[in-house]
Amino acid sequence: MRPPTPSGSTPSGSTPSGSTPSGSTPSGSTSSGSTPSGSTLLARAALALYPPSWRARYGDEVRALLDDSGGGLAAVASVAWRAVPAWISPPRHLHDRRARMRSSLATALMAWSMLTGLGLVFAQLTQFQGFTAPGHPEVRWAYAVFDVSLALSALVAGFGGLPLWLLMLRRAWREHRPRDLVYVLLPLIAPAAYLAVLIVTIRLVGGAQGVSPWWFLVVTLAGFAAAAAAAAGPGLALRRLQPRGPALRLAVAAAGVAAAVMAVAAVAIVVAVTGLCLWARHFAGYHHGTIPGVYLALVVTATTVTTVSAARGTRAALADT
Amino acid sequence: MTDRLDRWADPPLLVLASLADEPKHGYAIIQDVAETMGVRLSAGTLYAVIARLEARGLIEPLETDDRRRPYRITMAGAEALAQQSERMSKVASVARERLSTRLRWAGA
Repeated sequence: MRPPTPSGSTPSGSTPSGSTPSGSTPSGSTSSGSTPSGSTLLARAALALYPPSWRARYGDEVRALLDDSGGGLAAVASVAWRAVPAWISPPRHLHDRRARMRSSLATALMAWSMLTGLGLVFAQLTQFQGFTAPGHPEVRWAYAVFDVSLALSALVAGFGGLPLWLLMLRRAWREHRPRDLVYVLLPLIAPAAYLAVLIVTIRLVGGAQGVSPWWFLVVTLAGFAAAAAAAAGPGLALRRLQPRGPALRLAVAAAGVAAAVMAVAAVAIVVAVTGLCLWARHFAGYHHGTIPGVYLALVVTATTVTTVSAARGTRAALADT
Repeated sequence: MTDRLDRWADPPLLVLASLADEPKHGYAIIQDVAETMGVRLSAGTLYAVIARLEARGLIEPLETDDRRRPYRITMAGAEALAQQSERMSKVASVARERLSTRLRWAGA
C-alpha cells in the first residue's frame, strides 16, 4: 500500500503537469544568493513565534516553502496565526516532556516573580497606606485575600521547589560548575543585594515621610530587576543542568498550585484597585484610570503567563508519571 | 457561494489525497492541491496539518532534499483516506440523487 518511492530517495516532487519539480526553484522564489522580499522576511519573523521544538523540526521546511512560494502577506498571516495552536496543543511527536517541564517551570517562575513584585507594589501603594473605601468592605476583603494568597503561593513555591534547587546546587557544586552555582544561588544573592542597597538608599535619601516619588520609582524598578535576576538564575540553571526525576515533577506540580493560588491574589488585586478607583477617588493616583489601568494590564499579563506556563508544565509532568 | 463552500474543505484529507500517489514536499503539495482539487492551502495551514498527520502516524517524512522534506502516506494514512473517501462518495451520491429529484420537480 505504501508508495513505491524508497525512503531516502528524492521523490519526483509531485510533478503533476504544470507543477515545479522538486529541487528546482519555482518562479517567484528567493533562491540562495538573492535577497528575500520584505514579506518573506516577515513570514520568517512569524515563524519565530512557534515553540522551539516545532521550529527545530519544521522551521527549515517552512522557510523553504515560503521562499518557493514567494511569501506574501497572506502567508505571513497564516504562519503567524497557526503559531497559536502550536503553543496551545503542540504535536505529540515533538513532545520532550522533561524539556517542556523545565521550560515551563522557568517561564512560570519568571512570571510569578514579576507578579509577586506587582503584588508588593500593590500592597505598598494601598493597604500599607491604609487606603480603604468606607462603606465598601470588598476592598478590605480583597486585601485579606491577597495577603493569604501571596503567602500561601510563596510557601508552596518555596517548599515545592526546594528539593529541585538543592539537587541543582549539589550537582553544580560536585561538578565544579561555578557559573551554574552562581545561577542556582541567584535567588539568594539578588534579594540580599537588593535589600542591602535598599537600606543604604533609604538611609541616604529618605526623610521623615520616606523617599520621594522618584526615588520610590527607582527603588521599585531595582526591585523588579532583582526579582528578574532571582528568577532567571534557576531558569538558566534548569536549562544548563537539565535536572530530571521526582524533584523536577514536584517543582512543576508546586508551580501549578502556586500559580493557581497566585491567580486568586491577582483577582484580589483587580478587585481592590478597581474598588479604590470607583469608591476612593480622593486618594492620589486613583482619580484617573491611566496608571491603575496600565498596572492592572501588567497584572493580568503576568497572571496569564504564569498560569498558562504552569499548566503546560503540569500537563507534561502528569504525562511523565 | 463556491468560495464559501471551499472553506469547508478538510485540509488533512486534501493533503492525504495529494500524497496518495507519490511522496511530495510542501510546495508540491500546495501546487497539487490547488491544481487538482481547486483549493489553495496556505503555508501555515499546510504545516499545521503536516504536523498533525505526522503525529498520528498517517504520513511520514523522508530524507530531506535541500531543506525540502518530502512526505509519504503510511499504511494507516492510506486506510484512513480510503474510509473517508468511501464516506464522501456516499454523501456525494446521496446529494446528487436528491438534487436531481429536486431539479426535476423544479423543471416540471
